[in-house]
Amino acid sequence: MATAQVPGDRLAQVRIHLKTRSPDIELPQDTGPILVSTELKRYQLSTLVNRLLDTEKPIPLEFLVNGQFLRTSIDEFLTQNGISAETTLSVEYVKALIPPLYVASYEHDDWVSSVDVLSASSKAGQWAGARYDSSAQRILSGSYDGLLRVWNMSSEVVATGQGHTASVKAAKVLSPTQVVSSGFDRTLRLWKYEDSEAAGAASLTPTLELYGHKASIDNIAVHAPSSRILSASSDHTVGIWSSKKAEGPAAPENLLPTANKRRKLSNTKTLPQRGPLNILEGHQSQVSDVCFDGRDATVAYSSSWDHSVKTWDLTTGACVDTRTTAQSLFSICHLPEASLLATGTSARHITLIDPRASATTVSAMTLRGHTNAVVSLATDPASSYQLVSGSHDGTCKIWDIRSVRNDAGTERVGDSVYTIERDSAKGKPKAVGGEGVKVFGVAWDREVGVVSGGEDKRVQINKSSPP
Amino acid sequence: MAQRAGQKRKVVEVPRPEPEESEDELVDGELDGALVDDGDSEEELSDDESGDDLDEGDIEEEIELDSDEIPSSEDEEDVRQQLQDLKTGNGKSTPLQKLMRSDTAKDVSVITPGTDVKLLHDDPGEESNYTITTDANGNERYVYGEIDPGYDTDDSDAPVTTNTIGDIPLSYYDAYPHIGYDINGRRISRPAKGEALDSLLDSIDLPKGWTGLTDPATGKPLQLTREELDVLKKLTRNEVPGDGYDPYPDMVEYFTGKGMEEVMPLSAAPEPKRRFVPSMHEHKRVMKMVKAIKEGRIKPYRAPTEEDKEREEAEADFATYDVWANEQPQPDHPMNVPAPKLPPPGYEESYHPPPEYLPDSQEKQAWGEQDEEDRDRDFLPRDHAALRKVPGYEKLIKEKFERCLDLYLAPRVRRSKLNIDPESLLPKLPDPAELKPFPTTCATVCKGHEGRVRTLAFDPSGKFVASGGDDGTVRVWDPLTGRQCWRIKLSASEPINVVSWRPGTDVFILAACCGENVYFMVPQGSIISPEAEVASQEVLDSGFGHAASNAAKTAAGQDKPSSSSWSRPSAALQERGVLVTLTLRSTPKTLSWHRRGDYFTTVSPSTAATSTAIAIHTLSKHQTQHPFKRLKGLAQTACFHPSKPLFFVATRQRVRVYDLQQQKLEKELQPGARWISGISLHPLGSNLLVSSYDKRLLWHDLDLGAMPYKTLRYHSKAIRSVQFHATLPLFVDGSDDGTLQVFHGKVVGDSLENATVVPLKVLRGHRVVRELGVLDVAWHPREAWAVSAGADGSVRVWT
Repeated sequence: MATAQVPGDRLAQVRIHLKTRSPDIELPQDTGPILVSTELKRYQLSTLVNRLLDTEKPIPLEFLVNGQFLRTSIDEFLTQNGISAETTLSVEYVKALIPPLYVASYEHDDWVSSVDVLSASSKAGQWAGARYDSSAQRILSGSYDGLLRVWNMSSEVVATGQGHTASVKAAKVLSPTQVVSSGFDRTLRLWKYEDSEAAGAASLTPTLELYGHKASIDNIAVHAPSSRILSASSDHTVGIWSSKKAEGPAAPENLLPTANKRRKLSNTKTLPQRGPLNILEGHQSQVSDVCFDGRDATVAYSSSWDHSVKTWDLTTGACVDTRTTAQSLFSICHLPEASLLATGTSARHITLIDPRASATTVSAMTLRGHTNAVVSLATDPASSYQLVSGSHDGTCKIWDIRSVRNDAGTERVGDSVYTIERDSAKGKPKAVGGEGVKVFGVAWDREVGVVSGGEDKRVQINKSSPP
Repeated sequence: MAQRAGQKRKVVEVPRPEPEESEDELVDGELDGALVDDGDSEEELSDDESGDDLDEGDIEEEIELDSDEIPSSEDEEDVRQQLQDLKTGNGKSTPLQKLMRSDTAKDVSVITPGTDVKLLHDDPGEESNYTITTDANGNERYVYGEIDPGYDTDDSDAPVTTNTIGDIPLSYYDAYPHIGYDINGRRISRPAKGEALDSLLDSIDLPKGWTGLTDPATGKPLQLTREELDVLKKLTRNEVPGDGYDPYPDMVEYFTGKGMEEVMPLSAAPEPKRRFVPSMHEHKRVMKMVKAIKEGRIKPYRAPTEEDKEREEAEADFATYDVWANEQPQPDHPMNVPAPKLPPPGYEESYHPPPEYLPDSQEKQAWGEQDEEDRDRDFLPRDHAALRKVPGYEKLIKEKFERCLDLYLAPRVRRSKLNIDPESLLPKLPDPAELKPFPTTCATVCKGHEGRVRTLAFDPSGKFVASGGDDGTVRVWDPLTGRQCWRIKLSASEPINVVSWRPGTDVFILAACCGENVYFMVPQGSIISPEAEVASQEVLDSGFGHAASNAAKTAAGQDKPSSSSWSRPSAALQERGVLVTLTLRSTPKTLSWHRRGDYFTTVSPSTAATSTAIAIHTLSKHQTQHPFKRLKGLAQTACFHPSKPLFFVATRQRVRVYDLQQQKLEKELQPGARWISGISLHPLGSNLLVSSYDKRLLWHDLDLGAMPYKTLRYHSKAIRSVQFHATLPLFVDGSDDGTLQVFHGKVVGDSLENATVVPLKVLRGHRVVRELGVLDVAWHPREAWAVSAGADGSVRVWT
């Protein structure tokens, strides 16, 4: 039996009930409540669970008690939270996230607006499947100087894409051979990428220009299997595009650059120009971000400055649902396992929205900790509960939606697990409003780690090196 | 000693005269007494000589005490002695004469027989006291009759003879320890001599100042110093106790003496008449009294009767009546208040309470921090190991003093505790947290301007911020990232005074005042859609067409010189997007658009001619009008009403509202500011904010009259600019102290309710450069985002 918690009593014990939501590390059989000493800390508990799992190689585990990560001994945890040692603690164990450590910075000429990763484990690599057998990892970055750059892991630019007439705002890897980008020049551009390991040997050649938006395109989302591209534009619309030249309709004449008599075409070789499959109108203000549903590629979500998240049925182009929050939304990403949408807001936090029609409340959870607008979000490739956010306060934060506490009554609030500071801001006083270190884009890859680009003209790579 | 005295007397009486003739004896009887008295005085003298100063009476008493055993016989002896003395009266005179040897004595001895004879003959009573008979021998025999016991016969005063040794010198007994025998034959011991006593007393060593007395206060022997003894001695002698004391000081003449003489009479005036005439007023008063007595209003004094005394006593008793003197258990009744009973002391009052009653340090601290009046008990339990270790009650003096003050009914100032919650005194304002959203932090800092940023404006769609500064450039920023999207340099020397976007989201026209020019431009750089760009160019170009088509009419109608000229800028500027230039005669400092975007007004405060200070321009027609022929005061700024054809003009100290249709003054507001810096009209048009250089922000409710509804004075320096939010109930002002202040200003539609103004947030961040802080503020058209232009060259976005 659990004894009362007496200071200095070495035999103080508490009953815990171990459980997990990850099927790969589930215990062989339900152990029921286990009596453990309150002196135990995370490491001892991790050893205990590993022994129970009977793994050859120990898996580092983290333990969540009442939605909080166990950072101290159980004894101190109980004391801090005022929990009686006689209750049975429900302890959830999760695979530990190793702190992502700074690896490298890739310097650019101008602000880096967007980053993406091409690797075997990245979305593009997975979609390509067997066709992509290269073990090479590439980082795609779009910059405010209007250039796309592809980097290898030894901080060399392997290819540069020149074609945008204004700043690039978004760049995504569609497949190992195809890249899409968009920017202030109101166009989306598809690029053919030919890989090579040597610096400058690879090539990034534009293949298609997509016209249809009347204002800058701030974000794009891609789904290679259905060759669909979604664009979020400042002209209050979401565009649906096809990456295939054959599928696209003709580009609207009035939006072509030739319509502007003052703009000279320097490039004699004209690229094929295509228009949008559909333009989804409905937002009252500029659309900040768009994403596909993680499970169903015919459903998309868009976030806008008009405070709303809209669910779109891409096949019909209809707005299925609108969820209105209290703040302008700057970024969105879908957590398919939890059926939640994470949106970064101008109110310096991340709101988790349940987009399903059955959901009663708009905000399922709030992740707090940033000090400026959250403009970029990416999910953890390894876990469906973790995500990384890039904010204008100059930090990237990693969140675990299982770590939750109830604040101010009913509001569920989460805290960040790790904070990634900008390496360029190290040793400098914290700038007001993240001046000079704003993070504009973030991507998370299993192999490469957390890649973020920002106002410091750098792409920064942070990786949690396995032990 | 008594014996000794008596003995001495006997000794003195030793010479016994022989009995003489009875006649003489008888005749001398009276005188003898006197002589015997003389002899007594002689004896006294001799007694003095021997150093014995005891009184005769004392001696007699002593003698009597000593001869208690046989008083009667002694009396008899006394009688006999007296008789003997009487017989020797005559014989005694001789030695007296011999002793005195004076003339008077001689005379007495000469005269005495004769007078005695006469006396004898005169007194027949004495004669019949004895009869002379003849005895058997034929001799005369005196037969004495009964002695009449007159006063003189009482001889009890005579010394008692105690020593019976007879008439012999005492020296015969020098060899014996006694000096004789008393009447009972017992030896009379020789009295102790002075020398023996003195030697005894000397043998006892006495301390200095020994008095033999005991101090009643201390119980110790009382010792007096020499000085004290002197004082005592002097007191016993009725002498002056001290040396310096003068018992008979000289009289101080206060009222007499020289210079004090009274000069009489005081006045030589004759006695006034009133001294002789009875006083009328006294008479009146007396008559009043008489009347009152007659009517019984004044009662003459009546001696208090027994009843009165009893009543008075009863009253006096009532005052000191002890209610609870005879406390008897009585049934509970409101009229019966039982004597208050003090509760018996508890463990806490014990000098050695159980440990659970002892307060811990927190309780002690809490008790100490409480006010004395609020404490539930006026002591703290303390632990003393033993009763003898309990210290004195430290508050004794204080409590006694308080009790005395109570008894005096002394008024004391009691601190009246205010139980007013200070929060309740404040006006009820909503909590700022409930009034979200409002800008709280600096989200973006846009840097790029060299020198001050004088002006800025959010574009109507809310995507961009335009700013202009001292460096002569107009810049367009992305407020989210702080990226500079577009930039144009309009002048190398002149600062940009105003930038302002034309209202309406379909076109994208930015007006900028630089020097005497107003530039109209369409920003390039892909930040606006091609459609909007084309539309904007059309709007700007349309005026030229109008001007061209109406040029003839203008020339024909009036050829008054135009105060302004609309023109195309240089080709370089046109290439950059500047499409129209309006040149005025003076430098416009403010530019304000009408909501439709066709009209705008410029104010040039520095112009000499007040008539051209305010101009209303029509963009589509390229026209300029000066609505005021003569303007009272120096114009500062102007703006259009959002819905009505009203025009607000702010001079330095007044704000005037004109009806543009009826061409008349609608209203004049008196903000009370010395120098108005800017005005902002609420989007509903019924409230006006006036910022002033004298640190005040004034809220005018146009329905309420000329005086401001609220004066907000929170800035420490001049307020440069103020702006209402277009959609949210917010307004913000920027000041030279480098801060912005955000207020909640809710205007309710019905005019019955006044506007709510709540200060929300002070936004700090701008550096103060040369006494200048924030020069301009603007709001995002929809969000609660404010932008501010700082003298430090930065544009800050606050979210």
